[in-house]
Amino acid sequence: MKVTRREFLKISGAAVAALPVLGFDLKPAMAEARGFRIKNIKPVPSICPYCGCGCGLVVYAADGKVLSTEGDPDNPINQGSTCAKGASVYQLHDNPRRMPKPLYRAPYSDHWEEKDWDWVFNEIAKRIKKTRDETFITKEKVTTKDETGADKEIEITVNRTDAIATLGGAALERMLSLF
Amino acid sequence: MPNKGYLVDTSKCIGCRGCVVACKQWNQLPAERTSFKGTYQTVPDLTANNYTIVTFHEYEEDGQIKWYFTKRQCMHCLDPVCLKVCPQKAISKTDTGAVVRDREKCVGCQYCAAACPFHVPRYDKVNDKETKCSLCPERTAEGELPACVKACITGALQYGDRDQLLAIANKRVSELKAEYPNANVYGDKQAGGTNIIYVLADKPEKYGFEEDPKVSIAITAWQDIIQPYFPWLIALTGAVSVFSFFSTRLLGVGKEKAHEGEGIHG
Repeated sequence: MKVTRREFLKISGAAVAALPVLGFDLKPAMAEARGFRIKNIKPVPSICPYCGCGCGLVVYAADGKVLSTEGDPDNPINQGSTCAKGASVYQLHDNPRRMPKPLYRAPYSDHWEEKDWDWVFNEIAKRIKKTRDETFITKEKVTTKDETGADKEIEITVNRTDAIATLGGAALERMLSLF
Repeated sequence: MPNKGYLVDTSKCIGCRGCVVACKQWNQLPAERTSFKGTYQTVPDLTANNYTIVTFHEYEEDGQIKWYFTKRQCMHCLDPVCLKVCPQKAISKTDTGAVVRDREKCVGCQYCAAACPFHVPRYDKVNDKETKCSLCPERTAEGELPACVKACITGALQYGDRDQLLAIANKRVSELKAEYPNANVYGDKQAGGTNIIYVLADKPEKYGFEEDPKVSIAITAWQDIIQPYFPWLIALTGAVSVFSFFSTRLLGVGKEKAHEGEGIHG
């Protein structure tokens, strides 16, 4: 298309005249492209595994992938809130630094070997049973006061072992959270 | 829509950093390596991967240790300077007053970081973008609380209308005055007012805040006076060229005749 100088000026003049009509709209467009990724996803209640409080968590997951973990607003213990540890539960699932398989280092060995879960569970159960049976205490003597206020030694039933540390995690106390 | 934000009642904050981790979880930000610096504050400053942090301030006064915690993040100003200076118009306000970035538009020029009176935006080297808290607009639009507010255990963070939060803050300060004579509300008028309101138990400096953060006059003058009229220079240039087109044509007729005359004589 051949444009003479005169036509070019006409066209550009018309374009310039049209600009204010079309608008110098420099108002910023609505932003933040990130979406609400847990929309229409059913929250599944769970319990925080860390301290003894047993706070309620909800897990939003789809297609086998955890999208978000948040405090459970319906849980009477934490009412939707989480501390720093509870808020970090997401990375228990999605974390490149976690071991994908159980590793086992035999006594006096200098290397780790991969084991499957069945072997590990059986081994743990076997050893706990062995330790428990060897160190189980049914009765223990304790000092208490008698009616006159003097020290008195009595024997009470305790049924415990001192050789295994107690796992005081909230996961063991989930009954408390199911009101 | 009324301006919405949240109240940070530092007198209720226990420094658990639940808000920090909840923010990281929701925004899917990776962890950063930190080192021990003689304070309980794990993250020394806001970074591209930490939109919010809890700062710990320790003072010894009259033989007593005072330990102040506060949360730092974008203040969501009522009149944000970052929005004004952004050459890409990547920063905008939502209808609830949250100051948000458009990641696609951001070119990582860091003008917003230089202009911010609260020194908040941080440069993300990996993606060449500027980052900051966005007040979770995607959550609040769906009726959810911002991630940090939802996580808060003690109720130090409360989300709501700015006017109501200010009323709560003023009431709380009057309660605190008995024990903390320097208690004050921060964010009601700083930098023209912010959507994040703080209840501070002591002077703002003790929490690492500036008493009266100032926006540079050069920025205000350039953005409010010079720049808004700049596009009209283009229109003006266009109008002048149209005028000159017609005027030269009309004058050109006379010139042609003059040339003809010259030809005869020459």
